[in-house]
Amino acid sequence: MSRRTVIGTLAVAAFLVAWQLVGSHNIIRSDLISYPSEVVTTFATMSASGELAKNAAVSLAEFVQGYVPAVVFGIGVGVVLALVRPLRLFFDPVLIAIYTAPAIAFIPILVVWFGVGAPSKVVIVFISAFFPVMINTRTGVAEVAEPWLRAVRAFGATRLQVIAKAILPGSLPAIMAGLRLGLGRAIVGLIAAEMYVSLMGIGRLIQVYSSAARASEIIVLVTVIAGFGFACVSLVRTLEQRLGTWRSDFE
Amino acid sequence: MALGLRVSGLATFIIVWELAARVGWLNPVVVSSPSRIVAAFAGQVNSGQYFGDLGVSLVELAVGFALSVIVGVVLGVAMGLNHDVEYALDPFVWFLYSTPLIALYPLLVVWLGFGFVTVVTVAFLLTVVSIIVNTLAGVLSVDPVLIRAVRAFGGDQAAVIRKVILPASLPLIIAGLRIGLSRTLIGVVLGEMFSSNAGLGFRMTVYGARLRTADVFVPLITFVVIGFVMTQLVGLIEHRLQAWKAVNR
Repeated sequence: MSRRTVIGTLAVAAFLVAWQLVGSHNIIRSDLISYPSEVVTTFATMSASGELAKNAAVSLAEFVQGYVPAVVFGIGVGVVLALVRPLRLFFDPVLIAIYTAPAIAFIPILVVWFGVGAPSKVVIVFISAFFPVMINTRTGVAEVAEPWLRAVRAFGATRLQVIAKAILPGSLPAIMAGLRLGLGRAIVGLIAAEMYVSLMGIGRLIQVYSSAARASEIIVLVTVIAGFGFACVSLVRTLEQRLGTWRSDFE
Repeated sequence: MALGLRVSGLATFIIVWELAARVGWLNPVVVSSPSRIVAAFAGQVNSGQYFGDLGVSLVELAVGFALSVIVGVVLGVAMGLNHDVEYALDPFVWFLYSTPLIALYPLLVVWLGFGFVTVVTVAFLLTVVSIIVNTLAGVLSVDPVLIRAVRAFGGDQAAVIRKVILPASLPLIIAGLRIGLSRTLIGVVLGEMFSSNAGLGFRMTVYGARLRTADVFVPLITFVVIGFVMTQLVGLIEHRLQAWKAVNR
């Protein structure tokens, strides 16, 4: 084992042991901070009752419905804006303005527009993910576009061929970085929107338990979200590596 | 030509919005309109509430960011200089990085109370990780030969940090500050929305609950402006720094 693994594991273990002791002996009130074994028990209870799975399914559905279109439109709009200068100049001020504002600031107005149910969550996920994907695609495409365009054009390729064969593969690293950035923001947007007001979902559960200040349940829910985020990022990373090899083959 | 297109993009957006609300294509109660937002802005300014909220948010932003910079740079440098420190803190940094911290707000409110301290803490926790990660990357990128040179001429640890490590890792630290600053803003908005009774984020939720759309847009647009000004400022600093580096080479 490397020194990194040993020291890292020891540090985490020390933290968990200290937390367990402080919590279970009520040195700090355990209803305020809970403790690891209690968190595990709570997780088991919440899983067994189906409460966790039911709400996670709702959040996941909202996430997918917002994130997938955000990626598709983000890449599409990003490519168009990078290649068509007048459009870019025309739309830039409004798009950049929306991008620099934290997406979560749109939650109250979106709830007014789309109601307390799932649609407002889908929209906030979309907005949170769309802009990072779009801006990254645009930057990535703009960087590779010029020399590639000229090279591929010189061999008589059509505009579509240029985009499919040269520009998209060339800007892939930037696009994937956008996907990752969008992922994190979309998760925060989703949870915050569900906490703000909703009928179901993990964020809604957090809100339910927060009124009772149930530390164990909240820590379980936060860990579940963190786990989901971690799984998604790993997925994108794997995809990045796969596409990376494909790209080097292509070159 | 370029500037003209830019301005006309924004102008078209505002004019279409205003027209759509006036003609009745869109329900003005729901979507509001630029003129209604201006009126709402004037109302909030006149009642004195607007600048009160703005002040609260800006102070939280400044305090959260300043704390993050101090703690983040110190921890980042410590982690960069001592591998064991890095190994020990690494898991916690990544946990913080991948956790949607706002979900912890119910506990933060119980621990720290409702309002300023909790908002600053949310902003701090969101910001400090990106500053730590970038500072660490900066310190690790420093040429070890430079460090040995300072040591060879009798420089102590403080001299190494001051003369070599901080200047050499400055570009990456500044990049961390840029990412961090936008995260501080997110933290302040989230913190105020969920665990405060003051500030622009709190005000949005109040007006949102009463369906006063024009009033919701006032803090929202303010956040857009704050985000924009911050981005421009940091961009300017980065630009200066690059010019300075170029001259130094």
